[in-house]
Amino acid sequence: MSDKSKGLNKAREIYSNNSQRARELKAAGKKIIGYPCVYVPLELLTALDLVPYRTCGDIKEPVTEADRALPHSFCPIMRNCLDCALKGKNDFLDGMVTIHSCDPQEKTARIWESYTNYPYFHFIDMPVTVRPEALEYFKSQLNDFRKTLEAFTGKKLPKDKLEAAIKSYNQQRTLVRELYELTKPSPPRISGTEIVQVVKALTSLPVSEGNDLLTEVIGEVKSRTDVPEKKLTRLLIWSSTLDDADIMQVFEDKANVVMNESCGGIRAYRAAVKSTYDPLEGLASYYLNEITCARTFRQATPGETGKDYARDLQSRFGYLKGIIRDWKISGAVMLLVRYCDPFAFEMPSLKDYFDSIGVPSTYIEYDYTTGALAPLRTRAEAFLETISQ
Amino acid sequence: MTKVVLIDKSDNQLSCIKGPTGPEHRRLANEVMRQALQQASLQIDDISYIIATGYGRLNVPFADRQITELSCHARGVSTLFPGVRTAIDIGGQDAKCMRIHDGRLISFVMNDKCAAGTGRFLEVTATALGIKLEDMGDISLKATKRIHISNLCTIFAQQEVIALLSRGEKPENIVAGLHDALASRVAALARRLGIEPDLVLTGGVAKNIGMVRAMKDSLGCEVLVPEEPLITGALGAAILAKEIYTKAVEAGQVLPTKSRRLEKATFFAEEHR
Repeated sequence: MSDKSKGLNKAREIYSNNSQRARELKAAGKKIIGYPCVYVPLELLTALDLVPYRTCGDIKEPVTEADRALPHSFCPIMRNCLDCALKGKNDFLDGMVTIHSCDPQEKTARIWESYTNYPYFHFIDMPVTVRPEALEYFKSQLNDFRKTLEAFTGKKLPKDKLEAAIKSYNQQRTLVRELYELTKPSPPRISGTEIVQVVKALTSLPVSEGNDLLTEVIGEVKSRTDVPEKKLTRLLIWSSTLDDADIMQVFEDKANVVMNESCGGIRAYRAAVKSTYDPLEGLASYYLNEITCARTFRQATPGETGKDYARDLQSRFGYLKGIIRDWKISGAVMLLVRYCDPFAFEMPSLKDYFDSIGVPSTYIEYDYTTGALAPLRTRAEAFLETISQ
Repeated sequence: MTKVVLIDKSDNQLSCIKGPTGPEHRRLANEVMRQALQQASLQIDDISYIIATGYGRLNVPFADRQITELSCHARGVSTLFPGVRTAIDIGGQDAKCMRIHDGRLISFVMNDKCAAGTGRFLEVTATALGIKLEDMGDISLKATKRIHISNLCTIFAQQEVIALLSRGEKPENIVAGLHDALASRVAALARRLGIEPDLVLTGGVAKNIGMVRAMKDSLGCEVLVPEEPLITGALGAAILAKEIYTKAVEAGQVLPTKSRRLEKATFFAEEHR
């Protein structure tokens, strides 16, 4: 990237070539640790002076190598991520942290480990409910994670360093929320496509550099005169991973996407890690309870024998009501990645929830390849036509 | 197929042309438009407003606006059948189910990009049977039993057809089974949306009398078919164009229109953004 580029331009450059900074840091002697999912607590890596780097897929990359390791009818994002790894695109990594955020990640983790040869590899076994016992177990898993990191780096993880890392990431979360405040006006001051680029840049940079970038972007966006064009519909997109600017642009050609509720948007930034005596306690609670991915089931009445669908819906999706009100959402898209069971299982209930609060919604499935763009465009535009006629 | 419908301000059809779609979308669009103008004895400058629809909608250089085939089908079908609440269109590329209220599209589902559940399923299996696609309907009426086809995948179904033929099964019974297989697949898609009569079936598959019967059986309700089931999308586009244009004129607005030239093709990517 050019030295002069700042703010949105810089974010776009990092988005287009997202491993460059990690490679530079590697050349300067830093250790780079890959992670495929936002459930990995990056605070522990940063506190030990390791640089986290999200190993993303690339929709323009046809999957060829991963086919020898994974079945076809399988999460196309994980196939794509592993494919990139097998093609040597992550060859600068010193290690990899994977997590049982969903079954495809858990299965792929084992394969990833056996097909690659990083000096460090760790798998976090994350539970899928928010029961108190699950939290205890997850905390013990984070403690194991800490131990393997200490063994790998040969350093003890001091409490104050972990607290400082938590503070930096909480600042990043605050800044992303501040950025999303800027999609509240009509037209929004920043497009959904630009935010996809910014968020991908954040997951490719050390936290301090990410925070600097966010500060620049926020300043630029607040004072810019070239705001996005106002469209008829203000969309919320709910998805597992919407991290590609071309996919986002399909929607933004005809609508303003003011909320990207996916891990390519606000999902990992909506809350903050609470300060606890044992920092792992706060981290476990944040990652298990606060990140609203369909991989965790939030039943309202765990352990009760009766069922209460309305309460369950409220418990699982209630947070969206405030978003819909505050961002003046006029339509919602449930964008499913093919074979993504956690989101597919959640979808009918979420549809009921959107209906119950009077928000027009549709679901669209795609397969995380550029071949999906034309059918996606037809479905997206048809939905927008139904709500803006 | 590429289709053109021209209408006048009273919704009378002035011309209706169907042509094959090839790799040269743009030249084709020009060609069918030229024929349509000839049929109606009109010049291109006589056309007030043009809407393009379908997968090639971004690739019609003289179109003033693009609207998806879902909205256009819904409008076209409801013009022909004012009481329509559910429309199913089965074409060679995809199948779509639409819920319609008062002539407006309110929700839809489309099949995924695989060929199962589309007209291609019949095209491919007709080839395996050595019969013409357009004869399938009549052939299926001679069936003495309906053979269950277990594969929904087009390629596997083709293999199954060959296996059935080598077992000595009669082609008409196999064709009847193929119709049932396609109908059950599309009916399952429609049930995701909810089926409410009146139900209208369009697309090339609606020309096949055996398929219309199979759809009735699978859906358990009456199936209405327009006289010309291939052109409802183009007709809907024409009607929406007229409505948009009339509304603008009444409001005293001038709608921007494209150059009315049947121009030579230029590179696609330069323009569609």
